Amino acid sequence: MSTMLTAILLLPLGSAVLIALFLRRRGGLAAALSTTVGFIIMALSLNVLLTWNGQDVHVSQEWLRFGAYAFSMGFYFNHQTALMLLVVSFVASWIQLFSVGYMHDDEAKGRFFGGLSIFMFSILGIVLADNLVMLFVFWELVGFSSYMLIAHYYKTDFANMASKKAFIVNRVGDFGFLLGIVWCWSHYGTVSLIDLHTKLVGHPELLGTHHAIGISLLLMCGFVGKSAQFPLQVWLTDAMAGPTPVSALIHAATMVAAGIYFLARVFFLLSPFTLHWIMWSGAAMTAFAGLCALGQTDIKKTLAYSTLSHLGYMACAVGLGYPELAMFHLAMHACFKATLFLGSGSVIYACHHEQDIYKMGGLLKKMPLTGITFLLASLANCAIPLFSGGYSKDSIITAAFLKGHAEGSVYFGVYVLVLFGALCTALYTGRLFSVVFLGKARSEEASHAHESSPFMTIPLVVLGLLSLGGGWAVYGWTWGGHFTGLLPSSCVVVFAEAFNNLHEAVEKSGAANILEAVNIAIAVAGLVVAYLFYGRAQTDALAAKSPGAFHVLERHGWFDDIYDWYVAQVQQRVADIVGAVDLLLFKFTFGWGSGGLAGLTGSVLRRFQTGSIHSYVYWFLAGVILFWALSVG
Amino acid sequence: MQPGLQAYLTVAGFLFAIGFAGVLLRKNTLVIFMCLELMLTASTLALVAISRFYNSMDGALFVFFIITVAAAEVAVGLAIIVALYRRRHTVQVDELNYLKH
Repeated sequence: MSTMLTAILLLPLGSAVLIALFLRRRGGLAAALSTTVGFIIMALSLNVLLTWNGQDVHVSQEWLRFGAYAFSMGFYFNHQTALMLLVVSFVASWIQLFSVGYMHDDEAKGRFFGGLSIFMFSILGIVLADNLVMLFVFWELVGFSSYMLIAHYYKTDFANMASKKAFIVNRVGDFGFLLGIVWCWSHYGTVSLIDLHTKLVGHPELLGTHHAIGISLLLMCGFVGKSAQFPLQVWLTDAMAGPTPVSALIHAATMVAAGIYFLARVFFLLSPFTLHWIMWSGAAMTAFAGLCALGQTDIKKTLAYSTLSHLGYMACAVGLGYPELAMFHLAMHACFKATLFLGSGSVIYACHHEQDIYKMGGLLKKMPLTGITFLLASLANCAIPLFSGGYSKDSIITAAFLKGHAEGSVYFGVYVLVLFGALCTALYTGRLFSVVFLGKARSEEASHAHESSPFMTIPLVVLGLLSLGGGWAVYGWTWGGHFTGLLPSSCVVVFAEAFNNLHEAVEKSGAANILEAVNIAIAVAGLVVAYLFYGRAQTDALAAKSPGAFHVLERHGWFDDIYDWYVAQVQQRVADIVGAVDLLLFKFTFGWGSGGLAGLTGSVLRRFQTGSIHSYVYWFLAGVILFWALSVG
Repeated sequence: MQPGLQAYLTVAGFLFAIGFAGVLLRKNTLVIFMCLELMLTASTLALVAISRFYNSMDGALFVFFIITVAAAEVAVGLAIIVALYRRRHTVQVDELNYLKH
């Protein structure tokens, strides 16, 4: 088992090293190697899951020792790891296959596929890590590989700025994360997840201390940065400057989900105060990002806001105390959001790298496979029943309702927010689909578009079918024998129980049918309204009717402008002051002071260099006399 | 009559003084070099005289070393002076002052 896990972790590293050393100029070989390794990992992960006996696996190896603290590297494999391993390796492999088609005529394929491999290595390290320090190391590696892949088109200014922004904003969160790890070590005396688990589970009183609250808030910073939650959400939409498969893999399906996975993994460390914060910010993000998605005309940016909104759902689920449901939604979201992004990639490729949705249109007939899979994923995105998102997202909305039902009216605010988020989801999804795939072509490129190559359509079909059927894993179907669904049961067990408990609780509250009806009504109403409002227009209907509102949504609440102002006006001032102190203290005092002293000494001493041998002889004589006088006394 | 130790040492002292004065006062590198050799010779003479006076071989042993070292020094020193002359066309120390401050 541990050999297999080691192989899963190290294979992509080997692939990345081989590509970096030998295949940088041979893009075709690099693509083949990276994709093959991806599928091998997928096979190995499936094999691990199918042969796993359900017991937690923990192996650990000491790596460095600093005094009393030993830094170990190891694997901690439990149900969450099983699910995340499958999601990451499965989605990543298909996205890599898609990239073979999408990046076909790119000049720097070697660099791109090497980047994908190093990303795989990093994310698998996060998935398998058994302690916080190792997790942090791979966390940073993920940040680096994301930076590298966003900057793939490094000749454009926008990609450069977006990659720097993603990296720096993530650093802000990661700094808190690092402090959290240090505090965790000093307070609990360990950073091993298992030791922390045994120490904390069953002792809820330990989480009330201000130490525990500080630690969990700081650890949450890591999640806030990586999963792009308030107030660090600004990097994710700019990260769409990278190639579309990267957006699908990193900024929709896996990397941003790593923050959620991390929260689920250290759920026992999170104090109630932190959970409240996560719940409220997550719920607010579902509604806010959903609204902002309506203000975007770039197909990928719309999807990026959609991702933010869904990350909000997952965060909200964690905050509500259902990390299992967050993991469930993570898995479902990975399938349908990867499909949406790959579908948008296929569309962008067919329209000659046009990303403006108002230059597309009528693509369903020209690109039937892309269109149908995009439709499946869109319906999953809107949480239509029987689709994958329908199971997971509705459960989270239901969980929010139950929280309000059980603990009082303030918590109904969460329910209202996530419900509003669902409405926005339906609106922007309907807008996107009707503008891009229905109606008439709005540009020359769109009218000549045709279906993409099998490299791109096969992953679309696979992931599109999962967007439809991914959620069926939860219910044990009786259909000519026992059918537990598409995912192996060892994966399902992590969320099936929470899912079933939740549904029992809803049945008891007596509101099950009403809740379900409200969810469906909102989704359908949103889709219909979006089709009627946006479907026929040549330009954006909201921008035409209410430019002010559209502008607010387009600038997503001026977060970027506020941060720009802060950096330029506040941070720059502080930097100037520090710079002046530096100048005074170091340049004038130490720099000029010591330099001046040495210069003065030198200007005196160099008078002795007369250039005349005779004067040297006199000095020599004087020296001899001096030593003679000294020795005589 | 045989000259005593004092006579030898006096001669050696004069030789050394002449050599030292030459090093201090003369401007020609070659002459300075010869004066240096003169100072070496003065010390050799003193050593031989003292060695003979005390009937010991220690001083004579030193003389062998000094002659060897002086031979090597002359070889190197003359070579340097020749090279210097080829390059600068002068051996006057007044004009060899490029390392002045």
